[in-house]
Amino acid sequence: MIAETTKEAVPAKKEPVGAVLVCGGGIAGIQASLDLSAAGFYVYLVEESPTIGGNMARLDKTFPTGDCATCIISPKVVACMRDLNIDVITMAEVVKLEGEAGNFRATVKTRPRFVNMDKCTGCGDCIERCPVRNIPRTVFESKPAEELDKKDEAFLTDIIARQQGDPGALMPVLEATNRVYGYLPRGIVEHAASRLSIPLASALKVASFYDKMRFEPVGRHVIQVCNGTSCHSQHSAALISLLEKKLGVSDGGTDKSGRFTLRTVRCLGLCALSPSMRIDDVSFGKVDPDDIDKILEQFS
Amino acid sequence: MNTAVRTSGDLDKLASLGSASLYPEKVKILIGSGTCGLAMGARAVEDAALATVKRFKADATVSRIGCIGFCSQEPLLDIVLPGGPRVSFGSMTAAKARAVLTAYFTKGNFGGEKPLGRFSSEEHVSTGEVHSYGSSPAAEGIPEWSKLDFFRLQKKVIMRNCGSIDPMSIEESIARGAYRGAQKALSSMKPASVLDEITASGLRGRGGAYFPTGQKWRFAHNAKGDVKYVVCNADEGAPGSSMDRSVLEGDPHAIIEGMIIGSYAIGANVGYVYVRSEYPLAITTLEHAIAEAEKLGILGDDIFGSGWNFRLSVRRGAGAYVCGEETGLIESIEGHSGEPRGRPPFPVTAGLWGKPTVVNNVKTWASVAPIITRGSQWYASIGSKTTTGTTIFSLEGSVKNPGLVEVPFGITLRDMIYGMGGGIRGDKACKAVQVGGPSIGCVPPSMLDLAIDSQDVPGKSANMGTGGIIVMDSDSCVVDMTRFLLGFFVDESCGRCTPCREGTKQMYAMFNKICEGKANTETIEQLERLSQAMNAASVCGLGTTASGPVTNALRHFRDDIDMHIAGRKCPAGVCEMKKA
Ligand SMILES: Cc1cc2nc3c(=O)[nH]c(=O)nc-3n(C[C@H](O)[C@H](O)[C@H](O)COP(=O)(O)O)c2cc1C
Ligand code: FES
Repeated sequence: MIAETTKEAVPAKKEPVGAVLVCGGGIAGIQASLDLSAAGFYVYLVEESPTIGGNMARLDKTFPTGDCATCIISPKVVACMRDLNIDVITMAEVVKLEGEAGNFRATVKTRPRFVNMDKCTGCGDCIERCPVRNIPRTVFESKPAEELDKKDEAFLTDIIARQQGDPGALMPVLEATNRVYGYLPRGIVEHAASRLSIPLASALKVASFYDKMRFEPVGRHVIQVCNGTSCHSQHSAALISLLEKKLGVSDGGTDKSGRFTLRTVRCLGLCALSPSMRIDDVSFGKVDPDDIDKILEQFS
Repeated sequence: MNTAVRTSGDLDKLASLGSASLYPEKVKILIGSGTCGLAMGARAVEDAALATVKRFKADATVSRIGCIGFCSQEPLLDIVLPGGPRVSFGSMTAAKARAVLTAYFTKGNFGGEKPLGRFSSEEHVSTGEVHSYGSSPAAEGIPEWSKLDFFRLQKKVIMRNCGSIDPMSIEESIARGAYRGAQKALSSMKPASVLDEITASGLRGRGGAYFPTGQKWRFAHNAKGDVKYVVCNADEGAPGSSMDRSVLEGDPHAIIEGMIIGSYAIGANVGYVYVRSEYPLAITTLEHAIAEAEKLGILGDDIFGSGWNFRLSVRRGAGAYVCGEETGLIESIEGHSGEPRGRPPFPVTAGLWGKPTVVNNVKTWASVAPIITRGSQWYASIGSKTTTGTTIFSLEGSVKNPGLVEVPFGITLRDMIYGMGGGIRGDKACKAVQVGGPSIGCVPPSMLDLAIDSQDVPGKSANMGTGGIIVMDSDSCVVDMTRFLLGFFVDESCGRCTPCREGTKQMYAMFNKICEGKANTETIEQLERLSQAMNAASVCGLGTTASGPVTNALRHFRDDIDMHIAGRKCPAGVCEMKKA
C-alpha cells in the first residue's frame, strides 16, 4: 500500500518567465538550481532519492584538483535547502510533462517518506526504528570469473559446509583457505564470496586487513622469523637480514627456486627462547645465526 | 546419552581412570612438549626415550606434558620413579636422555647427569588435595623443586595443571580436580550466587585493564536479551608474552571449565575462543579438549543433568594485534575486518551480533574454577589487598633464567628478575625493563622495587599491565627500543581513525630522527603534543596507548634522549647516527 500524492509544478502565469524545474539533485542539479535562483527564477528541484547530494557526497577527493568532495558539496546542499526560491522535492519523479518551451506543465509523483518533514529535526531516531533497515537496496551479484577445478571445489564445499550457516563464516573460510594453500587463490575467494552472498569487495577488504592472509602464491616452505619485542632485544634484526641475504628476498618474498617464502611475524609465543623462528610448523628457539644453514638444510 | 557425566560420582570414576595414567605403578617418563619444548628439540628426546625403554624392555610409559614454565631449561625430561619422587632433568638432548635412562634402567641411578630438582609431592590446586609421591634412594640429595629459586616465590593457580598432565587426556585433568567447579556451580548453585562468589573473590581481568570480572559478568547477566555470548580472548597479540599459549597448550580444560561456569552465571549458551593463528599447537590441543568434553557431555546439552546447555567453538585469528581489543575481536568473529567499535555501547550490553557478550582473557577464565571449588575467601587471601590472586609473567630478554612465572600480586620486579630469573646475563647492570606489552614501554631500574598491582600508588605499587618482562641490560638503548615499539604500532594500527593511523607514523618518524641524530628540542615538544592528541582522540585502546612508550621514555630516560639529540651520540652504541 503506497500512498500516492501528486504535486503539480505549475507556473503562476502563462508567460515565458517564472519557474524552472530541475531534474536530479546531484552536484550539477544543485549548482544549476542555485544559479537559477540567483538569476531570479523560482526553482523546483526534483530528486528521486531521499536526499539531494548525489554521488559526489560519497566521494573522498575530486579529480584532477584532489579537492575534498564534502567540502565542496556540503555548503551547496545547505544553501540549496535554505534558499527560499528553491523548492526541493525529494523521493519524487516527474511522471508527465506537457506544453511547450516557456510554458510547461509537469506532474511530479512523490513517494511516501513515513516521516513528517515539518517536524523532522534530524535526530536519527527513525533510522533506529526503521523496519526495513539493513536490507540492502541493491543485491550484489558477484559472479566468479572462472569455474573451480575439482580439488578446489571439494575443498571449498567442505569448508563452507563446516560453518553450518554461521553468519560469521567468511573469516574462518578465508583463514582455512589461507592456511591450507599458504595464500588466497583468487578463484576460491570469488566463489566463497558468491556462495556466502557477500560482495567480493567486502571479502577482499577482510582478506587484505589480516596480515597472515596473502594473495601471492608461496614457496614450498614458509619461514616465519619473529620480529617481536623479546626477539628484537636478542638481535632478531641480524637474523632477519641474514635470512634476507641468504635467500635473496625481503619480507614476504619467495626465493628464485620457489623453495622458501620469508615472512616476519610479531611474536611466535617463544619469547623466553628468543630469537625464534618457525619453518612450516617446526619451531626453533634460541636461534644462533651460525646454525642457519643447518636449519635450512632440513627443508628441501 | 548414557555416557554423559552427571554426578560427582561420574567424575570420581573418570578421576580414578586419570589417576591410573597420571600416577602409574611403573616408571613414567614425561617429556615437556609445549611449543617451547618442541622448539628446543623435545621430539628427538622423546624418540630417544622411547627407544631406550624398548631396548631395555623396561616397564615404563612415555607421556607428553605441557610447559611448566622453566623455558631456559627446555627440553625437560622428568622421570617419575615407581613409589618415588618425580625427578626433572633440563637441557636434554637425545644423547643425554639415552644416558640418563640407560643408567637408571641398568644401575638404578642417573649416571653423570645432574637433576634440576624433584617433586616429593604436588598440590591439586582445584581441590586442595596433596598427592604425595613418596621417596626413593635414587633421588636422595636432589633439591626440592619448590625450593629452587625459580619456583620458590611462585604460586600456581592459573597454571595449576600445566606441566603435570597430558593435555590430550581429559581424565588426567579430572584426576587433578578439573570440572569439579563446573559440576558444583551447575548442580548446586544459582547463577546469582556464582556471581556473588566471583565478585567476592576480587578477581580482575588479566587482559591488561584489570576490570573487576564479577562486575563485568553482572552487567551481562542484567542486560536484556535471551541470547548472550561468552568469549575467551586468546589473541595474545602483544609481542613478548607467551603465557596464554602455555595455558592453552598445557591445560585447555581450565579455560573450558571457566567458560562453562561463566556461561551459566551470565546466561549464555554459546561461547567462542579466539586464538591467534601463530599458536597452531594451542589450537589443536584446545580443539581436542573440546571434542573430549563434548563426548562426555560436559559441553553440549543438559550438562551435568542440570538442564544447562553450552556450546563452545574455536575461532582462529589471522595476524592482527588489534583483534585482541575486545570490540575488534568481536568484529573478527562476526567475519569482518577487526576494526574496533566506538563505545558505548559496551560489549556487555551489545557485543557479538549486538547481543550481550562477556570477553575475558585466558588467564581470567582459567582462574574461575578454583574460586568455585575452594571459595572466594581462599582466592582473596592470595595476592595483594587491591588485587587478589595470581598472574603469569614471561621473564625474558637478558635475564639468566628466562621462562614463565606465576606469581601473586604484590611481588616486585626485583624479586622476579633477580630472585627467580637469577639476575642479568654476564652480571651486567639493568638499563631498563620493557613491561606491559608494547603500550607501556620501558621503565627504569628505580621501579624494580614497586609492588606489582592493578593500581598505581606512587612509591608503593605500579600497574605493569600484562605480558612479558623484557630485561634490557646496559648494552641496550631505550631510544631504539621505543622506536621499535612505535614501529609495531605503525604496522598494527588498523587505519580506521586518523589520530592513530597518522599519529603513529609521525611519532615513529620523530623517534627515527632522534635515533639518527637529526632531531632537535622542538621534536620533543611535538612528541608531547602529539601524544596528548592521540590519547584524547583515538577510537580504541591501541591509539590511546600507543603514546605510552613515548611518555615513559620522556619521563624516565630524558638523559638518554638528550644525549641522542644534543650530543648526537647513542650511549650504548646501538643507534646508528647519520650525518646531519
Ligand atoms: C590494542 C589492544 C590489544 C589488546 N590485546 C589483548 C590481548 O591480546 N589479549 C587479551 O586478553 N586482551 C587484550 N586486550 C584487552 C581487551 O580489550 C579486553 O579488555 C580483555 O580481553 C578483557 O578481558 P579481561 O577482563 O579478562 O581482562 C587488548 C586491548 C587493546 C586496546
Ligand atoms: S617476541 Fe619473539 S617469540 Fe615472542
